[in-house]
Amino acid sequence: MLEINSLNVFHGPIQAVHDIDMIVSEGQCVTLLGPNGAGKTSTLSAITGTARATGSIRLGGDQIAHMSVDDRSRRGLAISPEGRRVFANLSVRENLLMGGALYNSKAQLSAKIEQWFVQFPTLRERSDQLAGTLSGGEQQMLAISRALLSNPRILLLDEPSLGLAPQIVSKIFDIIRDLKAQGTTILLVEQNAAAAVSVSDYVYVLNNGVIYIHGQTDQFGHGSELMNELTGVYV
Amino acid sequence: MDYAIQQTLNALSFGAEYALIALGLAIVFSIMGLVNFAHGEVVAFGGYSMVITATLLTSNPWIIMIGVMFACVLTAVVLERVAFRTVRGADLTTGLLTAFGVSIVLQNLFLLLGSPRAIAATQFIFLDKTITIGTIRVSSLQIYETLATLVAIVVLTLFLRKTPLGIAMRAAALDFEMVRLCGFRANRVIAGAFAISGLLAGLACIFIMARRGSVQPNMGFDPVLVAFVACVIGGFGSLPGAVLGGFLLGVAEVTMLIILPQSAGGLASAAVFSLVALVLIWRPDGILSPARNKGDKI
Amino acid sequence: MMAYFNSDQRKGLMGSALLSLMILAIVGAYYIWGETYHARILYATFVNLLVVVGLQVFTGNANITGFSHAAFMGIAAYIAAICVTPAAMKLISLPDAPWGLNAFELSALVSATIALVITGLMGLATGLIIVRLSGVGVTITSIALLVIVHSIFLHRTDIFKGNQAFFGIPKIFDLPHITGLVVLAIFVARLFRESSIGLQLRASSDDEAGARSIGVDVRRVRLIAWVMSACFFATAGIAYSFFLGTISARPFYFNFVFLTVAMLILGGLRSVTGAVLGTLLITMGLELVRWLETGPVLIGVKLPQMLGLSGLLLGVVIVAVMAFLPNGIMGHREIEDLLHRKRQKGRKNDVSSYDSQT
Repeated sequence: MLEINSLNVFHGPIQAVHDIDMIVSEGQCVTLLGPNGAGKTSTLSAITGTARATGSIRLGGDQIAHMSVDDRSRRGLAISPEGRRVFANLSVRENLLMGGALYNSKAQLSAKIEQWFVQFPTLRERSDQLAGTLSGGEQQMLAISRALLSNPRILLLDEPSLGLAPQIVSKIFDIIRDLKAQGTTILLVEQNAAAAVSVSDYVYVLNNGVIYIHGQTDQFGHGSELMNELTGVYV
Repeated sequence: MDYAIQQTLNALSFGAEYALIALGLAIVFSIMGLVNFAHGEVVAFGGYSMVITATLLTSNPWIIMIGVMFACVLTAVVLERVAFRTVRGADLTTGLLTAFGVSIVLQNLFLLLGSPRAIAATQFIFLDKTITIGTIRVSSLQIYETLATLVAIVVLTLFLRKTPLGIAMRAAALDFEMVRLCGFRANRVIAGAFAISGLLAGLACIFIMARRGSVQPNMGFDPVLVAFVACVIGGFGSLPGAVLGGFLLGVAEVTMLIILPQSAGGLASAAVFSLVALVLIWRPDGILSPARNKGDKI
Repeated sequence: MMAYFNSDQRKGLMGSALLSLMILAIVGAYYIWGETYHARILYATFVNLLVVVGLQVFTGNANITGFSHAAFMGIAAYIAAICVTPAAMKLISLPDAPWGLNAFELSALVSATIALVITGLMGLATGLIIVRLSGVGVTITSIALLVIVHSIFLHRTDIFKGNQAFFGIPKIFDLPHITGLVVLAIFVARLFRESSIGLQLRASSDDEAGARSIGVDVRRVRLIAWVMSACFFATAGIAYSFFLGTISARPFYFNFVFLTVAMLILGGLRSVTGAVLGTLLITMGLELVRWLETGPVLIGVKLPQMLGLSGLLLGVVIVAVMAFLPNGIMGHREIEDLLHRKRQKGRKNDVSSYDSQT
């Protein structure tokens, strides 16, 4: 579904990612692990088009590396970005409507939103509340729903556990596990190796902008051992 | 009592006009971070379009009115496409100076292609009649102006709350990049903002022309200056702030005209500006500073 | 004495010297080949130069656009003019002047000093407000300043004569005086830019939060730059009065503001060389275009009269520069950086050569 070759990502004059290759197959959940500053979010930014990059990015076989941000999203890319980035002064419902850019029929969009309300009853309760007043976990649910409303070919999830209490984190990851069971293709970026490894099929470990190691998750044993070994960081 | 009503109507109609143009500025700034100095020239071009329409087509004022609205929207959207797209991501100063440059280009185009002197355009003067309600004598124009502005504000609010593009524009004012990541076309959102500012400018132009009766290359300068000030005291980028600022300025101006002795009438604008400076000292970001999206961003 | 200057300032001294040589060369060319009417154009250019360099000091280093320079210039011009004009003259031109303003006269030096001091104090007063505001707020407040001052000029005709000419100012300055002032201005602006305060200001313009976090008192450095620039504008105003013999309120308003801002951004607002370059280019360009506007005969073809062409091209220049060269022709470079590049090309193996980055 997503194929990346020789990707280099730049922030101004600084190069954040050096020549990496990655594949996410349809229906897979692939995790990009790494400590702070490794280049994980930069990689996602390169995929969505918000950071300057060179190299090849193929979505469903089509080259998207030259496309604008909005075009890539319309091609089937959806992201729940770092920090959630819900529209704080819009209501929950309006945030979800923002996920409906590709819908031609208002009725269809409303029906789909209903489905998400069924999946996340908390969102229905708060549908007229301003998104900025939601808790971290609720915002994460909102961000994921917003992203999935467009029926994307691949969902990019950037650090969904960031700033959330352990109970909520496990709840969010239950959700991710459900999504995977429903066949959603997911590229997950995380620092929390244990949680991430529990949902994914394949892992890439990124550090200092290069891929240290990658492979099937079952090769790697318990996630935190993996992180300790490779980066010397206690998780 | 009559005097009070007359002055209130004065303040309302002045304020309405300022609010209309200020809203046009605010909408573009809230989404793009661009201070559109050229907005005044959009109004001026509306005025020139009256002359063009009258010469080429018809003198029917209603058709000319439609022409004005059309001309203003067209100008605004074309300006965005031609001049402002290149500086879309740039910082405040770059955008401001670009808009500035565009404003000078347009003013001089009016000069070159039109005339340095005022050209008569009296088709809307019929709107300005003195009518008597009970014991009060008021100008019909002021009533139209106030009503039209209120209607425009209501329509705009409905648009921003109920339509997909409107919601996208509100979202874009909070986090433009995220709106693109959701798949909304950036160009469409921005063009929409400019089109709306054009519509508002067109409406203001009709009332301005009803009063002036003539067009001149630099006629857009004073309105945009006042609108600018209105936006700043209301909180630059905030739509309610623009309306508030516009009406506050209307009230301030009428108050100054009442308070100051006849001889110092010319000082009214200086006095208003001093008030503005005071407001800014008290609230440097304006009274209703626009909401910033809470998040990790500074 | 060189020990008082840091290494960047020493570079700045060299750069200023080079710019001054350029200026002197232009003046020299005038004396050798110039017609009498050229003197006026050259003088006006140098007055603009004083203003644009003053703009560079604040707007260029702080990256905040201010539009009030014409106001400061006007205030100083009027004060200097009123002080220095002989009482006899003033009784005719300002018959209704209050406070005995038409009953005294002072020497040029005292008049200039008074004008400079009062304008500087106004710079301080306005600066205290300005530095508390954010980018847009500065712009609007500076516009407010401009409009207020202009309204006062127009309204108090008993002191200022509004749009009518205040005449009878003795001609005190000529080309040598203003050349000296220009050279001084270039040195001062350069030394300020490379001083520690100038550096702090430039840092805060790129990243205000970052600068604060390393201990820069952003308000203080902005205030210093603002007051300094007000002094530059005051000097320009005084020089203007002392040469022209008559002044009115009209030039101290938006058209002049647009013109000088265009000069700064064409050359590059980040450097003093940019300020000088932009001024010279636009002045020459304008003279050429004004000649075209009159509908001259070019290669045997009579061109039509095109009023507004100069304004049009000025606007186009601003838009084009902002779109393609937002940092102007010079970008962040000063004149000595250009020379260094040339010298570097000749020195391939010198590892120790100073690498000046843009």
